[in-house]
Amino acid sequence: MTQPDGISLDGVCKTFAGRGRVVEALRDVTLSCPKGTFTAIIGPSGCGKSTVMRIALGLESLDAGAVRVAGEPPLEAARDGVTGVAFQDAALLPWRSVRRNIEVPLEVLGRKPDAAHVQAMIELVGLKGYENSLPGELSGGMRQRVAIARALVTHPQVLFMDEPFGALDQILRRQMNVELQRIWAETGSTALLVTHGIDEAVFLADRVVVMHAAPGRIVDVIDVPFDRPRKPPLFSDPAFHKVCDHVAEVLHGG
Amino acid sequence: MAAERRFAGLRNTLILLLLWEIIGQLGLVAGGALPPPSDILIRLWQDRGDYPGHILATLQASVAGFVIGNVVAVAAGVLFALSPPMLRLFRGINIAAFALPPIAIAPILALTLSGMAPRVTLAALGVYFVTMTATVIGIAQADSRAEDVVRAYGGSRWKVLRLVQFRGAVPSILAGLRVAAPNAVLGAILAEFGGGGRWGLGTYLLGSLGRGEPDRLWGIGLIATLIAGLSYAGFALLSRRLLGATKAVTLNAAVPTGKDDGGPLWARIGMALATVALPFVLWWALIKLSGAPAMIAKTPGDVFTYLFLAPSAETAQAKLLAALAQTLPITFIGMVAGLAFAFALAILSKLSPRFISGFMPVALITQTMPLVALTPLLVLILGRGTSLTLWITISVTFFPAFVTLAQGLALVPRSAEDLPRAYGASRWTELRMVTIPASLPYLFAATRLTVPRALLGVMIAEWLATGRGLGNLLNQSRGYLDYGMIWSVAAVSVILSVVFYQ
Repeated sequence: MTQPDGISLDGVCKTFAGRGRVVEALRDVTLSCPKGTFTAIIGPSGCGKSTVMRIALGLESLDAGAVRVAGEPPLEAARDGVTGVAFQDAALLPWRSVRRNIEVPLEVLGRKPDAAHVQAMIELVGLKGYENSLPGELSGGMRQRVAIARALVTHPQVLFMDEPFGALDQILRRQMNVELQRIWAETGSTALLVTHGIDEAVFLADRVVVMHAAPGRIVDVIDVPFDRPRKPPLFSDPAFHKVCDHVAEVLHGG
Repeated sequence: MAAERRFAGLRNTLILLLLWEIIGQLGLVAGGALPPPSDILIRLWQDRGDYPGHILATLQASVAGFVIGNVVAVAAGVLFALSPPMLRLFRGINIAAFALPPIAIAPILALTLSGMAPRVTLAALGVYFVTMTATVIGIAQADSRAEDVVRAYGGSRWKVLRLVQFRGAVPSILAGLRVAAPNAVLGAILAEFGGGGRWGLGTYLLGSLGRGEPDRLWGIGLIATLIAGLSYAGFALLSRRLLGATKAVTLNAAVPTGKDDGGPLWARIGMALATVALPFVLWWALIKLSGAPAMIAKTPGDVFTYLFLAPSAETAQAKLLAALAQTLPITFIGMVAGLAFAFALAILSKLSPRFISGFMPVALITQTMPLVALTPLLVLILGRGTSLTLWITISVTFFPAFVTLAQGLALVPRSAEDLPRAYGASRWTELRMVTIPASLPYLFAATRLTVPRALLGVMIAEWLATGRGLGNLLNQSRGYLDYGMIWSVAAVSVILSVVFYQ
């Protein structure tokens, strides 16, 4: 028997009933992310890329198809603590300190927080010295790093990120991309990143999945050939731009 | 800047006190019915022996009612937030709890319960709605993204509630408690009006009314206001300490509704019927459970019999209708006048922001005042005529309506106001195009908020002073031991409030 894929979606369909009309959010979405790979989903607003992630997390039901996360149904995988997740806008609890926010998933899973491990996560994302700060006292980039640390604290085999850097400016975003790549390489997890930044997707991912809207569907999967670890100068490499241009072409219906 | 404003506030207060002193000393208002502050303070000092007993009694009832009412309210709020069908089912009861005029059920409570229980019950009823609403809204408004984080790790409904929603609702609940605290005091005082007993500020106030001692009446009013104001300030301070300032003084007048997610027609009709029936079932159950004698405690069926089937039904109906004919018009006129006044002032204050910053603190303070409980003071000034009723109604509707409207108008986005201005519109065009339309929803909200208060104000004035209408009928029936009528008046006034509210 072969090792199960990190994430696999097979023929997933999803419709939403909105004001008197039915919106076909996803049509026959099939995607598999082998263990230990980094996949990015890119597409225009409303193409259902976030819905794909929410289905894989078990936050949305699906109308047809099958989903497996590390070989298990999504909710079971979640309860077993296989997954880690970071959303757009850090979604931190404003009344908890950085440390206590990072401990939230452990509390939900009923695990005992290991102080040394939590501290290691805080240091991994470069927030040493801010353990007891409240989210309101942090900058946007720091809050996002807390969200990443929170996603990693459960030693996830599968890491989901929904536009984790969407609220950041371009400069900060690139810094965070470089750091995320380092962190992901250290943990060796399977990663799925939803984004609308082409350069972010190409810089981070092994494969870029391009989606179109109405109905939401996958139109192409583009391999990104660059060696790891990728360094910041890659952003200005002509080969990098060539891949980016290709993604943009597919994205705009080329 | 802040210091300057505080200084201006202090200066205005001093000028006001000085004016009051001069008017009082000269006996300009109603032949000395408005005594100067110095006399009130002197009288307060002379009466100092009487106060501790009365204050203690009122405080006991308020605190007990506050605690019980809030525990029930938070539990109910959590239940409703978790289960929209339950919220829909209890809608009838929630509206009744919000709209029922305490004075109407005070005699009933005095009949069926004994000792402190009626006062505690009314105080608890006064806080239930505010805190329940605040809890439901607080939980519903919790950060949905943070909820997703917990759910994404397989967190159960209970985990989401515990980790995210309940803690997120704390500011809202605290704001509710702040508004609820003076309500508890008001409830206790009203129960004392309607229920007799030896101790309590309400009893003291009522007892002193007959003796015509303005300075004592004002002293009692001052103390009652002080207690209510301090309880408000206490919670305001607590929430500022805990959370940093959040400022919400009005209560949200909308009864939260569960989303009506359709379902088959029979299910929806069944739900609607159950919603209406539940308050009556509860009424019936409480009577049966309390074990009060049937002579005194009437079930819904008994009231129906009394009004429609019994031999004396016709006289009872005639009396009730005559009383309604006296009460309803004046309630309506007073309410419309109060609302119109508030609306005009709120709109005008938009033209002159300085005015609003000067007037708002006064309006906010009146929110914490047991206004209706101060009716006896107005009796002194205005006499016992119709104008008294009207003024009480206007004063209890005006302030909450004004605060609701002014706070609503403050929420109109700047850009919406800038748009007409950018095209060179005049102040009036701007008012017509933006301010007035924007304030209409708040006018409706204010109307709902003030209907029960207006009815309460009129009934209290009738009960204590004018000797007309429903309030008087209630008082008379108490004297004649006409229990059927007491229950009927209570039922009718609650139903009226609910109907108006809807």
